[in-house]
Amino acid sequence: MDTISLDLHGLRHDSTIMPDARANEETVGPSRLLHVSGRGQRTIVFAHGFGCDQNVWRLFAAELSSRYRTVLFDLVGSGNSDLALYDHGKYGSLDGYADDVLEIVASYAEAPVIYVGHSVSAMIGMLAAIKAPELFAANVMIGPSPSFINEGSYVGGFDRSDIEDLLETLDNNYLGWSSNMAPAIMGAPDQPELGAELTNSFCRTDPDIARHFAHVTFLADHRADLARVSTPTLIVQSNDDLLAPVAVGEYMRDRIRGSTLAIVENVGHCPHLSAPGRCLEVTEEFLQKRGL
Amino acid sequence: MDTSRQVLVPIEDAFERAPCGLLTTATDGTILRVNATFCRWTGFAATDLLDKRRVQDLLTMGGKVFHQTHWAPLLQMQRSVAEVKLEIWHRDGHKVPMLINAVRHIEDGEEFDDFACMLVMDRHKYEQELLRVRQQAQRALAEKSIAEEALRSADRRKDEFVATIAHELRNPLAPIQAAARLFGLQNFSDPRLARSCKILDRQTRQLARLVDDLLDISRVAEGKLEVRLEQVDLTLVLRQASEGARGMLEAAGHTFIVDLPVQALYVDADPGRLIQIVENLLTNAAKYTPAGGTIRLSVTPDDQTATIAVRDTGIGIAEEDVASIFGIFTQLATGLPRAQGGLGIGLSLVRALTERHGGRVGVESEGVNKGSQFTVQLPLSLTQSANPLMSAISAVAATRVRRVLIVDDNEDAALSLATLLDIDGHEARTASTGAIALKLISSILPDVVVIDIGLPDMSGYDLARLARQTAGGSDMLLIALTGRSEIRDRQVAVDAGFQHFMTKPVNYDTLLGLLR
Repeated sequence: MDTISLDLHGLRHDSTIMPDARANEETVGPSRLLHVSGRGQRTIVFAHGFGCDQNVWRLFAAELSSRYRTVLFDLVGSGNSDLALYDHGKYGSLDGYADDVLEIVASYAEAPVIYVGHSVSAMIGMLAAIKAPELFAANVMIGPSPSFINEGSYVGGFDRSDIEDLLETLDNNYLGWSSNMAPAIMGAPDQPELGAELTNSFCRTDPDIARHFAHVTFLADHRADLARVSTPTLIVQSNDDLLAPVAVGEYMRDRIRGSTLAIVENVGHCPHLSAPGRCLEVTEEFLQKRGL
Repeated sequence: MDTSRQVLVPIEDAFERAPCGLLTTATDGTILRVNATFCRWTGFAATDLLDKRRVQDLLTMGGKVFHQTHWAPLLQMQRSVAEVKLEIWHRDGHKVPMLINAVRHIEDGEEFDDFACMLVMDRHKYEQELLRVRQQAQRALAEKSIAEEALRSADRRKDEFVATIAHELRNPLAPIQAAARLFGLQNFSDPRLARSCKILDRQTRQLARLVDDLLDISRVAEGKLEVRLEQVDLTLVLRQASEGARGMLEAAGHTFIVDLPVQALYVDADPGRLIQIVENLLTNAAKYTPAGGTIRLSVTPDDQTATIAVRDTGIGIAEEDVASIFGIFTQLATGLPRAQGGLGIGLSLVRALTERHGGRVGVESEGVNKGSQFTVQLPLSLTQSANPLMSAISAVAATRVRRVLIVDDNEDAALSLATLLDIDGHEARTASTGAIALKLISSILPDVVVIDIGLPDMSGYDLARLARQTAGGSDMLLIALTGRSEIRDRQVAVDAGFQHFMTKPVNYDTLLGLLR
């Protein structure tokens, strides 16, 4: 179990390297919007975390698209997904999302895939790989946490009352929204190069779905599943992340057999956005070591 | 212009005392510049904040998570966020609600975030109130749906109870009806006995009709009401129904007028159900008409429909009751003094049956004590000519003597049926178990075996299979008898080798017809 420590050195935001995703829009299974691009023998499937959508990967995925085929999708209930498909029963646990991932992998890749998931989606990918290990060549987990709630000696970082406070904050910021209205938080960015489709969907969420998804995400406890992982796993953790502290990364590394923990110097929960260079470096090094 | 510009304070002062909180931070949130307004609102000295705290340190836990999952990625991706509402910790430990806009910009190759924060105390209170009310509404909605589900469940249990009670009442009725029929065939010298016999016959018929209605209404609730359409002459069916009801109407002292057209009117209908509809309407009319009234049954055709009308000179219907008159369990309060009992399901069944025939029910009354007219409008068949296969409904006398074995653990039912068959010239025997039945089958070689499905020692289906295997068993006529008339039961009966399937109480004429 090796730990790689790196300095903060972020890549600049550069819209010109964004792939022209709309040319590759596809619909699969329960009408999930997918973006497939890139060239390569191996397919990487990217899954975004709570709050935003697949656009968080544009920079990261574009860097990898010269050597890999990339598949980006929105979790049901997020981004441009069909909100009508949001079944509170199915998505009442992360298993519902894991089943969707398995469906996407089965439909879009022939050989076992590399899965890159952020935060809650890292856990979703882990659950999917436990269900069908033969479909996964590697799992790159960015900012994962098996459980956000403190319990006994385990420090997840939050108490239950914190989660209630989060739900209240969500309510405060979703007040008055209707599901077909862009949220107030979008504001009016002075960024013409972002393109209309990005400003209109990124971080947009139906308030009721956001609330339910927040519940499911922040109250999930998959610590017991860590020992069941057989897929080669890289855990990428920021050195300063409120949601996924380094201690949580170490806890996971100690319990996922043969896993690697890479600490990247970054403040915040989205190192793939704010420190994409370092994240790419550790990811590629990990993949190369395994001949992927 | 020039003079006013001269008296303006320096821009630094304007920054400090701007009517909103202003901050500049590094991209990791470290506060690099803050104005006096923000410090005043949050209780911090600038020195407490500058280079010491990050903007997210001032947020509540929920706000911190929101910052991480929404705000930070948005600022990264689109470089500005607007109208984020978060609570900021005041130095004293209370929360200050603020509306925040932020913009990311580059200066000399380095990135910074500029924040403008607005205090929103009243708006926050107002929004809290809105949220509270919305949550209240959601709770009320949830409670409402729980209450509705409880009602639906109670309604289902009521339907199940009605179905159970109808089945249970039906079983003892069969032998009572058979016994009443048997008595009716005797010539009693005592006129009191003869009269009692008629009463017994009339009342058991009435009871059987009520139980059948009850069973049908439970089938309506379960969506299992069976209607078998065939082309029938409506006038012929109505004539039969009116003859059946005449005794009851005239016994109640009413004048009964039947006004039917001479020509045949063909409709696609279940003749038994049509009789049920008309009998119910006539019974209803009799019930709500004081003795000595007039009840008229008529049919009027137009191009596409035939309208059956039952008009009475009874107590009428108040305007406010007209809309609910076809509802289940509805009985008019005003009718109670004259009501002769009943279940309050007759009209509701009339409507259900009529609608199953593609027809419509209607009611008119000019008011209380001004009589009523109930109508049933049925679509006419497309071809108005006689169907050669149309069967006449009539009692059939035995033309051949049959050896009949009745297998039923309800010995009263079996014996009374056997006695009736004996009187009609057949040779009937009974058995109360499957084992006894098999012995008798081997010894008396019956032509017909009537088997109750629920026997104590084996199922009627098994008995049928065994009976088929006995010598001469393949030629026997096997008739199944059950308390229920489910389609799937019929299929099981056919599979077991039964040729006919009858529900209790046995329609004796139908049985005789099968023996012919």
